Amino acid sequence: MGCAIVVHVYGGTPTEATPQELICIRVIGASNCRYTYIGDVIIAVIKEAVPNIPLEISEMIRAIIVRTRKELKHDNRMIIQHDDNATVIIDQEGNPKGTRIFGANAPKLRQLNFTKIVSLALE
Amino acid sequence: MLKSVGPNFYTPFLSLFDQLVLGNCVLLVNLRRMRLEKCWFCSSTVYPGHGIKFVRNDAKIFRFCRSKCHKNFKMKRNPCKVKWTKAYRRLHGKDMTQDSTFEFERKRNRPERYDRNLAENTLKAIKKIDKIRSDRASDHIKNRLKTGKVQRQKEARKQLELGIHLVKASLALAQDSSLCLPKIKVNVSQAQTEENQPMEE
Repeated sequence: MGCAIVVHVYGGTPTEATPQELICIRVIGASNCRYTYIGDVIIAVIKEAVPNIPLEISEMIRAIIVRTRKELKHDNRMIIQHDDNATVIIDQEGNPKGTRIFGANAPKLRQLNFTKIVSLALE
Repeated sequence: MLKSVGPNFYTPFLSLFDQLVLGNCVLLVNLRRMRLEKCWFCSSTVYPGHGIKFVRNDAKIFRFCRSKCHKNFKMKRNPCKVKWTKAYRRLHGKDMTQDSTFEFERKRNRPERYDRNLAENTLKAIKKIDKIRSDRASDHIKNRLKTGKVQRQKEARKQLELGIHLVKASLALAQDSSLCLPKIKVNVSQAQTEENQPMEE
């Protein structure tokens, strides 16, 4: 019920010095999960990379989804939709690998204690 | 999370923290402040739990009251050109645009300390201002439609004169001497009519 980034879908990443497009392979914390929402950590493979960054194509990384085109339904029945699918590349602890984050972020990230990402985000 | 929040002047949704008032102290714990938003497309109010909020990548937020507005937005329609929206109506002078009552409804982001009297007076004022505003708005529309009404009546009167035979039976017109021109009697001799009869058949 409800879907966001389907496994094997491209998502852009908004952190600085990071690749342009990822493909989501797997969701962490759920086996056989078809769909993911904002706030889910995924394992992704880099498909397209911006040059001169530490990450290369076909490198496997962890990322957390921060924006989805599919609407996210909140508990208070508020429905929010973004313009694109976007993730932030993180390491094992959940700290973002990059130093800047572009674009709007959902308030759900704060609830899930991704404080570093929330503090870096501008909007 | 202790927070002193008073009503922004024009948000009628006070019931949530009314319940939490204990004496003079107001405790708001994890309370989502409710606000009646405006739909970006049609300018109608979006109540909590309704509609969709779209966050563009430049972090501009668009709120829609229903999927009709949302779909129009996705079609990239300009609300100022779509006739049923408030934006169009205001732009083209169909609805009242300037009035002192609109000043009361401006969004203020300054939270006010809760004061019971203030809240009570606010609620009363909201009702009254609402009534005044809607009266003035309907007057505006009435005045706008007045010229058309006069012209339509004129046209209707003219049409009645031309087509009176459709309204009143010609016999009635004949019998009532006031409704038609005076009749002129023409004498036809008897011999002439008898000659014409076989021709008519």
